[in-house]
Amino acid sequence: MKIKYNSDIISGGLFAILAAVIWLLIPSQIQTMETTAVTAQTIPRIVIGGMFIFSLVLLLQGLFMTPKKSVYIDKAFFQSEKFKKEMKSILFAAILIVFCFLISTIGFIISSLLLVVAILVFYGARKWYYYAISMSTVALVYFIFKIVLSVNLP
Amino acid sequence: MENFLGGLQELMTWGTFIIIPVGLMLGIIVGSIPGLTSDLGIILCIPLTYGLDPIPAMLMLLAIYCGGTYGGSITAILINTPGTSANAATLFDGYPMTQKGQAYKALSMAIIASTIGGIFSALLLLFAAPQIAKVTLLFGPPEYLALAVFGLSIIAGVSNDNIFKGLIGACLGIFVSSIGMDKLSGTMRFTFDNYNLFKGIPLIIALIGLFAISEIMMKSQYNPKTDAASLKSFSIDKQKITKEEFKRCIKPISIGSLIGSIIGATPGTGGGLAAFVSYDQVKRHSKHPETFGKGEIEGVAVTEAANNGATGATMIPLLTLGVPGDGATAILLGALMVHGMVPGPTLFVEQGNIMYAIMLGLIVVNVFMYIMGKYFIRFYAKITKIPYELLATMVIVFCIAGAYSTNNAIYDVFIIIGFGILAYFLRRMNFQLVPILLGIVLGPLAEMNFRRALVMSDGSYSIFVTRPISAFFIFIAIASFVLFFFKGNKGKRKKGAQKVESKA
Repeated sequence: MKIKYNSDIISGGLFAILAAVIWLLIPSQIQTMETTAVTAQTIPRIVIGGMFIFSLVLLLQGLFMTPKKSVYIDKAFFQSEKFKKEMKSILFAAILIVFCFLISTIGFIISSLLLVVAILVFYGARKWYYYAISMSTVALVYFIFKIVLSVNLP
Repeated sequence: MENFLGGLQELMTWGTFIIIPVGLMLGIIVGSIPGLTSDLGIILCIPLTYGLDPIPAMLMLLAIYCGGTYGGSITAILINTPGTSANAATLFDGYPMTQKGQAYKALSMAIIASTIGGIFSALLLLFAAPQIAKVTLLFGPPEYLALAVFGLSIIAGVSNDNIFKGLIGACLGIFVSSIGMDKLSGTMRFTFDNYNLFKGIPLIIALIGLFAISEIMMKSQYNPKTDAASLKSFSIDKQKITKEEFKRCIKPISIGSLIGSIIGATPGTGGGLAAFVSYDQVKRHSKHPETFGKGEIEGVAVTEAANNGATGATMIPLLTLGVPGDGATAILLGALMVHGMVPGPTLFVEQGNIMYAIMLGLIVVNVFMYIMGKYFIRFYAKITKIPYELLATMVIVFCIAGAYSTNNAIYDVFIIIGFGILAYFLRRMNFQLVPILLGIVLGPLAEMNFRRALVMSDGSYSIFVTRPISAFFIFIAIASFVLFFFKGNKGKRKKGAQKVESKA
């Protein structure tokens, strides 16, 4: 399957949808009692309306003016270096999301230690002292915040 | 004069003289590590300044800003990779000097020129800012709104190749800033009944997510085996600058300092542009233009004087009008707000002592920068070799701790990760982050003054154009927007034509 696209089409399309959804949410999310001409809804409406219009312009630019890239979605695509690189970014984002769940359950120190180890493994680091330095950083940061800034990390 | 002496008195404390070298050291280290920028350094250190008074806090952040701008030259000279965008022009002659075995000489000239440019700029700030501030005392809500619009107009200058992406980014920023309780009416906006969002999204949280986490995400495709190997090796020699070379560099340093300060004071520009323009001027008027680009010490002198010449000058519109000149100053604007200071017309009246202490402190920052740059050159050179995978872990741990410490809330850690992933997507789609930041910072100011002005005028919009100062700023906002828009389009067409030519 052949797909033609560029960043303007993707971002323009996504932001147009996002702006439309937020616009529809405004009455339920900003329940103002103000009776003046300008209320708490005015600026959000101007901004979201603007976002919708600019997104449409961007989408049109992407469809008719900006050069498009062609990608063939087949077996070779899923084995390509480019696809693997994109997967790496998604994996990195997944590590960060998992960390979010961990920090709220097991606290800063253990979740951060796991995070730095995961990042080093992600990059394929093999030197032991990379792990030692990174793990020491976690401890150092914990104590800097606790002692110097009086912030008790979770 | 009273404020000047008061500021001097507040500056002269032991704390200041400890905090400035610490900030500089951090700034130079961050600037000299490829992949980290002074913007990131400032963001990471804002949470560390929570416990400090405004003066040492701002001086620390300014020291990181100045140190980072200088530090970026170290990688530009040694490994042909500018540490920050402001140092891109330093590559032209800095790296060829290293190839010729004159790395030490280039680094020495970089610190001398950076210091002179920085001090010139700081003096300009010291003398110009209070005079501008006097005029701005006449400002009311319509003028404040016009200023915020003027600040937002620099979006056109920082949107890279597509202004619509910049405008969408600014809208997104203003939308983010509207989340939480509306300060004028008390109405909740876009909170989805989640009490964590009632206070809105703190600026520093948005900054950490947008800039720091997304930066780490952008490097997720980094491959230590191939990318680290591409770093060129270098050696630091012992060649010193001769008297004749120093004399030759006086004129380029003066030109760089002057042009850097003028460009720096213009919103929407920044040190990078200042360095390129100054370099071009010096090369054009040189008796030996053919030596530029091949390791000419004058090239390093002019570019470094220019980019540091912009550092103090960018603070002029920031402190007097509340208009940030570039990304770093937009972050500093946020930092000022975190410390309870709203940059703009009233700042010099309400907190005159603090303002003078900061402006005088900027001169001290540059003096310390010279000392630290001169005696630690070899140490900074080693920093450029720190592997990225190690840095990533350190930066992310600081981000998490910094985010949590803002409100002692885990929810803020979720927000930085969410913002980081969103910003990563936007960057991949060729969006710039500065328009989003400007929207977040200037959006609330614009909204509040827009509504207040309309209350003043009984709902008549003519108030924005009938008051001369307001009309003036709205006019220059539109003019600069249009100018940047057409300039951007011209550049785009030129690029397109070059592409076609190269294909042919």
